[in-house]
Amino acid sequence: MLARIANDLYWLGRHLVRAEHTARMLDALFQAELEALTEDPSSVAISWRSVPVLMGAGSENGAPADAEAREAVTRQLTTDERNPVSIVSCVTAAREEARTLRDTISTEMWEALNKFFLELHEPSVGTSPRTGPHSLYAFVKERCALFWGLSLSTMQRDEARSFLIAGGRTEAADMVLRMLRVALPPIRPAEDSSRELPRRDGNALALLRAVGGTQAYMRSAAAPPNAEPVAWFLLLDDDFPESVAASAEALHRSLTRADPQPEVSPPILRLRRLIADLELRRHARIAYEELPGAFREIQDELHQVEREIERHYFTREAPGELTPLRVQ
Amino acid sequence: MYDELLNEDGGPREHARRLIDSLNRLGHERLLSSAERRDAIFLQQGITFDTYGPDGETRDRPFPLDLIPRLIPHDEWRQLERGIRQRVLALNRFVADVYGAAEVLRDGVVPWELVTTRAGFLREAHGIEPPGGVWCHVSGCDLVRDSDGTWRALEDNVRVPSGISYVLENRAAMSRLVPELFDEYAVRPVSDYPEGLLSALRSIAPGGAGTPTVVVWTPGPANSAYFEHAFLARRMGVELVQAGDLVVRDATCYLRTTTGLARVDAIYRRVDDAFIDPLELRPDSLLGVPGLMRAFREGNVAIANAPGTGVADDKAIYHYVPEMIRYYLAEEPLIENVPTYLLSDPDQREFVLENLDKLVVKPTGESGGAGVFVGPTAGPEDVAEQRRLVEMNPARWIAQDTVWLSTVPTMCERGPLAPRHVDLRPFAVFGESVWVVPGGLTRVAMREGSMIVNSSRGGGSKDTWVLAEDGAREPAEPDPFNPPTMPGLRQFGWTEQERQQQQARQGR
Repeated sequence: MLARIANDLYWLGRHLVRAEHTARMLDALFQAELEALTEDPSSVAISWRSVPVLMGAGSENGAPADAEAREAVTRQLTTDERNPVSIVSCVTAAREEARTLRDTISTEMWEALNKFFLELHEPSVGTSPRTGPHSLYAFVKERCALFWGLSLSTMQRDEARSFLIAGGRTEAADMVLRMLRVALPPIRPAEDSSRELPRRDGNALALLRAVGGTQAYMRSAAAPPNAEPVAWFLLLDDDFPESVAASAEALHRSLTRADPQPEVSPPILRLRRLIADLELRRHARIAYEELPGAFREIQDELHQVEREIERHYFTREAPGELTPLRVQ
Repeated sequence: MYDELLNEDGGPREHARRLIDSLNRLGHERLLSSAERRDAIFLQQGITFDTYGPDGETRDRPFPLDLIPRLIPHDEWRQLERGIRQRVLALNRFVADVYGAAEVLRDGVVPWELVTTRAGFLREAHGIEPPGGVWCHVSGCDLVRDSDGTWRALEDNVRVPSGISYVLENRAAMSRLVPELFDEYAVRPVSDYPEGLLSALRSIAPGGAGTPTVVVWTPGPANSAYFEHAFLARRMGVELVQAGDLVVRDATCYLRTTTGLARVDAIYRRVDDAFIDPLELRPDSLLGVPGLMRAFREGNVAIANAPGTGVADDKAIYHYVPEMIRYYLAEEPLIENVPTYLLSDPDQREFVLENLDKLVVKPTGESGGAGVFVGPTAGPEDVAEQRRLVEMNPARWIAQDTVWLSTVPTMCERGPLAPRHVDLRPFAVFGESVWVVPGGLTRVAMREGSMIVNSSRGGGSKDTWVLAEDGAREPAEPDPFNPPTMPGLRQFGWTEQERQQQQARQGR
C-alpha cells in the first residue's frame, strides 16, 4: 500500500474520532453545567476554561470566567472553520482525506461521510450551538457512528482498514489521556485536600460523561464514581472500548495485521512497551497522588509511538520535528 | 387562588422575577418550537407513559413536560424538607410498631380495628425486623398548596411510589431544550438520586463478603411504570429482573444467570405487596417468587420497601399521621394535613353527606386518582350516586375539605401562558438516614380549572427547581486554575510541504 494512502487513512480515522470526542465532551460540559451535577457549584467541570488547554492551547492564568468562556469555546470548537481542531474542521479534513481514498474505502462509507459534511455546512447548524447544542452534538455522534458501523459491514478487512482503525484508536487514547490530565491535575502540596478531593469526585462524573462511559462504569464497577476508581477505569479497563488500555490494544491489533514484519517493526515494539507499561501499572496499583504523573508519562510514551508510526509507515524517513498547531 | 410565580397583582414574585424576564426574552415562538422538539426527543428516547383510553386501549405517549419550571425558594424548601423527613420517620416508626410491639394501638392513638382492616395490612409481616429497622425506604409524599399559600400534605405513598425517573428526565430535557432559563438561577441538582438509592439499598443488604448484589424487580414491560424501572436499573448499574429470574432455595434468594445461581442481597421491588410471594400471599400471583417472604423473614435478603408498608399508605391512616408525629417524635407536625373526615364515624359521616357538594371524597385503598369524587365540580346525579356509594360501605371512604390547589403559569395548546393547578411529590430515600431529593415531581392539571393532576388521567408535569442558598447564579470565586501544559493537537502526519521535501529527497 502507498505510504500516502496509509497516511490519509490514518488521519481520516483520527479526525473523525477527534470530532466525535469533542462533541461528546462539549455535550457533557453543557449538561454538567446546567444540571449542576454536584451540590458544590465550584466542582462542576472539566470547566470551560480547561477545554482550550485540553486541546493544546497555552494555559495562561488570565483565562476568562466560565460564563464567557462557554460561548467562546463552543463556537471555536464547534463551527469555527478557521480553527483546525473544531468539529467542522475535523469533519472537513476527514472528508478531504476520504476524497482521495474513494477507491479504498467503501462507497457507502464515502457517501455517509460526504452527507455528514454537507449537512454540517447547512446554515441552520451555525446558530444551533447557542440554542440547542445537544441536538447538534447528538447528530455528530450519530454520523461518526454511522461511518464506523459501515466500515465494519462494508469494508474489506485489509491493510487499509487497519490504518483507518489505527488512526482512530491513537486519537481516542490521546483524547482520553488529555481529559484525564485536565480533570485530575497533580495535587499541589499547598492545596487543601479536604476541599480538593470532593471537587475531583465531581469532576470524575463529568469526565465519565465526556467519554460516554457513565453507563459502562456503573455496570462494571462496584465503587461509586469517584475520582480514583474512575481514573483507573478510563485508563485500564480492558472491557471499556474507550479506555486507554483498550485503545492501545486495538491499535496493536491493527498494526500487527498491517505490518508484514511486526516482530521487528519499531512502532509496534514501542507500542508493546507502552502496553507492558500499562499492565505493570495495573499490578503496581500506584498511589492516587502519583496518577497525574503517570498520565503524563503515558501520554509522552503514546506520542513516541505516534512518531514511530509516522516515521516507519508513512515516510520511512524522519520528517523532522512538527510544529504543533494551537487553539486560540 | 394562589399562584407560585405571580403575586396578586399579576406581577412576578421576587424569586421568580428573573425567570419571567428570561421567558419574555425567549418569546412565545421559541417556546413553541422547543415544545415540538421536546415531543420528538421524548418519543425517540422512549420516555413515555401509557394511558388507557376510554375503550381500554393503551397508548404510549410522550411524557407531558411543561417548559415553564416551578420555583421553590431555598428557605421554603428547607422547611418542607424538615417536614417531609418528620413524616417519613413517623410513618416508618408506625409500620415497625404495627408489625412489632403495637404500642401505638395499645395506647389508643390509632384504633386497632382500623389498622387491621386496611387492605394494605399484611398479617404475614408480623414479627419481622428488617435491617436497621427501616421499612419505608422510598417514599413520595404528595403536597399541595392551599389558596393562602400554606403547604399541606395530601397523601403519603410508601408502597411503590413512582415518578422519580421523570424528575431526572425532565431536568435533563429542560437543560437541553431551554438552557437559557438556567442562566440566572443556581438550581439544586437531582441527578444523584440513583446513586443515593443504590447506597441506601447497599446499606440495608444483609452482611457478607464483597459488594452486595442489588436488583430492581419489575412486574414486566406491560407495567405502566416500566420505563422507570428500567431507568433506575440502568442508572444504578444493576440488573432489572422479573419474577422468573429470581428463585429461592433454602430461604436464600438467587438470580438465574448463565453461570448458575447468584446470590441476591437486596431487592428494590416495584411489585405490589400482595403479589410478591404466591406461597404466603396471593396464591394466584404469577408475578411472585415462591418462598421470598421466608427468605426475607430469615434476614437473608432485604426488600425495599419492606412488605407491609401499605398499611401506612392508606387514606384512613393518613388522618392519624399528625398524631403519630407527636406520639413517636414528640414534635409538632411541620406540614399540616388537609382536614379529613372518617366516614366510619357516624357524626362525621352525617356532616359529610350534608356537605357532599363542598368536599372531596376518596376511596381509602386506591391510588392514581381512581374513584375520586370532587364535590364542587360534580353534577347533582354524581352527588346522589356518591351518597349511595358512601352509605353502602362508609369505611371504604374518606372525605376531605376541597383544597384549591395553587397554580403556575403553563403553556397551553393554543394561546399564551395560563394558570394551571399543580401539586408536588417530593421523594425521600431512607437508608442510614432520610434524604429528600431537592424538588420532586410537580404534576399539573392540563385542563383549565381541573384539579386532577394524575398522569394516567391526562395530567402533565413540570421541572421543579429548588433554588440554592443565594438563588442567583453568581460567578463563583475563581478556582486556582493551574492545568498541566499539554502538547498541541496535531494535524496530519506531515504537511504538504514536508511531503514535497520527502519526494525531492527521494528523487535525488
